[in-house]
Amino acid sequence: MTLKIEIRQADGVTVLSCHGRIVFGEEATELRENLKRALASSRQVVVNLGGVSYIDSGGLGTLVGVYSSARASGAEIKLTGLGQRLRDVLQITKLVTVFEVYDTEQEAIATFHRGAA
Amino acid sequence: MAFQTIVGPPSGTGSGIFPILVFVQGNEQRVINLDHSPFSVGRKVDKDLVIADPRVSRDHALIVSENGVFSVVDQGSKHGTFVNGERVERKTLERNDRLEFGVREVAYVIFNPQHGTTNSAREFLSQISGMHISDETTDLEKLVLFLEAARKLNTIGVLDEILMTLLDVTLKLTRAERAYVYMKNARGELRLAAGRNSKGEPLLDDKTISHSILDDALKSNSEFVLTDTSRSADLTGRKSIVAYDLRTVICVPLRKPQVQATRGGEAGSPAPSAEVMGALYVDSRFASRDISGVSNDILHAIATEAASLIENARLVQAEEAGRRYQQELSIAASIQQRLMAVTIPEVPFAKLAGRNLSCKEIGGDFFDAVNTDQGLTIVLADVSGKGVSAALLASTLQGMIYSQLTAGMPLTEIVTAVNRFFTDKNIGEKYATVIIARIRDNGDLEYVNCGHVQPLVVSNGEVRRPAHGNLPVGLLPDATYESDHCQLKQGDRLILVTDGVTEAENSRGDFFEDSRLELAAKTGTMEQIFTAISTFCGGTPLNDDCTVVELVYTGN
Repeated sequence: MTLKIEIRQADGVTVLSCHGRIVFGEEATELRENLKRALASSRQVVVNLGGVSYIDSGGLGTLVGVYSSARASGAEIKLTGLGQRLRDVLQITKLVTVFEVYDTEQEAIATFHRGAA
Repeated sequence: MAFQTIVGPPSGTGSGIFPILVFVQGNEQRVINLDHSPFSVGRKVDKDLVIADPRVSRDHALIVSENGVFSVVDQGSKHGTFVNGERVERKTLERNDRLEFGVREVAYVIFNPQHGTTNSAREFLSQISGMHISDETTDLEKLVLFLEAARKLNTIGVLDEILMTLLDVTLKLTRAERAYVYMKNARGELRLAAGRNSKGEPLLDDKTISHSILDDALKSNSEFVLTDTSRSADLTGRKSIVAYDLRTVICVPLRKPQVQATRGGEAGSPAPSAEVMGALYVDSRFASRDISGVSNDILHAIATEAASLIENARLVQAEEAGRRYQQELSIAASIQQRLMAVTIPEVPFAKLAGRNLSCKEIGGDFFDAVNTDQGLTIVLADVSGKGVSAALLASTLQGMIYSQLTAGMPLTEIVTAVNRFFTDKNIGEKYATVIIARIRDNGDLEYVNCGHVQPLVVSNGEVRRPAHGNLPVGLLPDATYESDHCQLKQGDRLILVTDGVTEAENSRGDFFEDSRLELAAKTGTMEQIFTAISTFCGGTPLNDDCTVVELVYTGN
């Protein structure tokens, strides 16, 4: 397993910090399970991908899958900490138009509160 | 129903423990284990053998076993029960007897036909277990010999043979009357796996077996449980012991060996706490067959060896199952390869070449080329994930795109339809990046890129990356798709790759990257791009399929 996920609460928002590689197989499963668990108790989730060196097509599929089902159930996932490689991938796949992406974790968390206000 | 009817392959043979019925109807054949008695035949759906024909009565006949002898008993059927063409009320069955129930010719049953090959392992084992090495050889030594031989037999189907021979040897050593092996099924319930009497006849499950002793043995931590009913005072609840006058019962829990049994000594002894996979049950009814004096050495040997023997046989079977699965996979792979085989169309204005390097036996990349009135169309797709599931999707995708291309559909409509199909089917997180490019004889290139690596256009030694793109197919149901155009000049090259190329890794974990791809494409052909990739990777194996397609526009 080349993926580590830390989960914490920040201002009422659940933050998942990912470290390592998100690839097809047990890593993608790990991400999916953690996100599902987080979404079971929180409607506001930030995924920090700052520690992620590589996402393959399988990992990306997982991210989109959970993202879409979260949105369908009224929850929101925001992404932050994207490296250049991941930005390129999202650009090529046009998924940058699907995800909500923020430069910093604070910014991502803050937008939840702005939305609520 | 408490018993399972095992239906074997059409031309197969039974387990060898129970007699079998071969049911023939028209061109179909079914093998049924006769593993309980009475075995019912009729038109009603609750029968063990249902023959759906109006000439068969609802409750037509029974096949019953008494002391290892099987008979067919007519249940007052309208059109009669026949054995070898003769109408019978009740008849003892012999091997190869032909049974007919009301309906003649179109459906019949053969009782326990001789089968040639499956007994070989068993015969071999029996020979060894029964061999006379010298008169001084003790039964225990013979058992050890037998176990040695059985261990070396890596034949498939050997589990059944081992169980039967184990029972025969146990009966011989203990001089008991009946012996049974029970194995736990997936739900943890004990099920009869084999039963034999001292005459070597098969036995079915029987209510005269003391299930309370079986249960005790499974719960206990001891190596074996020996119950001498003449000395035991507390027989409350042991109905069968009282009812059937069982004299002595030996029950040996079969525990999963925790370490591979080593030869010699007692290193193979399973720990008492090890998981119980079944039980060996031996009993005697008659005072003359008192087995309470059976030596503890013999029981110890049986307890220790039987379980590891069965476990080994199971491992052999699992190995065989794995081998068959591998075989299935390689058949799938060859079908996949044939489906993916591209006949490159000959057109006067362009030359096309494509190649795929698969990282696993079967993968999710595919490439196709179709020539229509509107031009030469190239398709390159990469399904997310790997292995069989990715290959399955790739084949579907390829078929859909191919048929729509030949039907002359616009590129954007094709990918929209494919996206709708995949999102409708709800196939989870699987999606595909696809690029479809169509070149006309005048050099006009139309392409629709769905999340795929950007194409490379090499013109006068310069590399351009047409950047127009859309979402991959299969991710979002409401995605919309647009295509873009660019103009190729004579001698220009269009190069399409999958991300397995740009993400090919070397031993240091660096990627091949777009920069190296562009450098290789600038001067090199498709083959030279592959050379550059393999030089870069060194010996590091590919993580993902690599496909490169090259189109040279030669003009009119």
